[in-house]
Amino acid sequence: MSASTHSPVLKHHFGDLNQQHASERLGIWMFLATEVLFFAGLFGAYACYRLWYAAEFEFASSFMNVKFASINTFFLVTSSLTMTLAIRCAKLGDKSGIYRNLLLTFALGSAFMVLKGFEYAEDFHEGILPGASSFGVTTEQHNIKHEAEERGLDTGKVRLFLCFYYIMTGIHGVHIIIGLGCILWLVQMNYANALPPENYSTVEVVSLYWHLVDAIWLFLMPMLYLAGAHIPRLH
Amino acid sequence: MSDPNLVPATPPGHNDVLGHVDSPPTLFMVYAAILALFALTVFLSSTGQFGKYTLFVQLAIGSVQAGLVAYHFMHLKHGDRIVVLTALASIFWMGILFVLFMSDYMSRSRVVG
Repeated sequence: MSASTHSPVLKHHFGDLNQQHASERLGIWMFLATEVLFFAGLFGAYACYRLWYAAEFEFASSFMNVKFASINTFFLVTSSLTMTLAIRCAKLGDKSGIYRNLLLTFALGSAFMVLKGFEYAEDFHEGILPGASSFGVTTEQHNIKHEAEERGLDTGKVRLFLCFYYIMTGIHGVHIIIGLGCILWLVQMNYANALPPENYSTVEVVSLYWHLVDAIWLFLMPMLYLAGAHIPRLH
Repeated sequence: MSDPNLVPATPPGHNDVLGHVDSPPTLFMVYAAILALFALTVFLSSTGQFGKYTLFVQLAIGSVQAGLVAYHFMHLKHGDRIVVLTALASIFWMGILFVLFMSDYMSRSRVVG
């Protein structure tokens, strides 16, 4: 007779809570392994074309908004910290602490997406788009298309970088939105008193997913935003 | 004296079930280290002093940052062996993916001309 084998949190097909927690952790890590391989395909394709078309990729990257991306990095890394603190609060049975940290994480993740939205809007306005008919279409006289031509770069390869930019940040953004939904689910569970200390692993499972999304951003940031940070603009 | 990072042993059995509880100072130090590494990669990228090796330097710093996230925030530090094995296996399979297709794509110009 112990809390480990007679808890209302314990699902009937597990022997005890330790086995349940270990299974939940292993399950989410297996899923994260597939996510790593999913993004590895994108990273590999990017690395390949970056090495082939270094000049065009670095040039296109110089048009990315490093300020927005840096603030977003701060948001995501901070949200990882608050998410980890939420697990700590769950283990200590601190219900208000769970609320506080989960809602902070949700706010930071939402702020990331809002800023991303502003960034996309700015990109659209400046014609930083991969489509043949939309690339460089802007009211500005000097835009990405004109500057690429002035530098004698292949605009097709510049547009290829922009394809990577939108696909990678778009897929990452979808992951953030899914993570935000999972965090709201945890908030609802906490409201329903369904996150007692012995059920901390539910918070941990969501947090593992959230951290992976954060870790992926730590690679996207240098690949997309910092590749051309050293290139001065002509105009 | 009991370890402040361990959950109090009430009700009985909770220590076994809850395991290690993170210490906030450690978490904040890891957080600061990740942000410091981020500042470093932004600085190094803006100077462009590594030329064609910039991508590799950036990815190396990114790997250290991701490693800190995985080890501390994702609790690989206290992870079961099977979980650590799963995490390392994903990196290993990613390595296979990279080696195979990069050896193809990066050598095409030499073979085809």
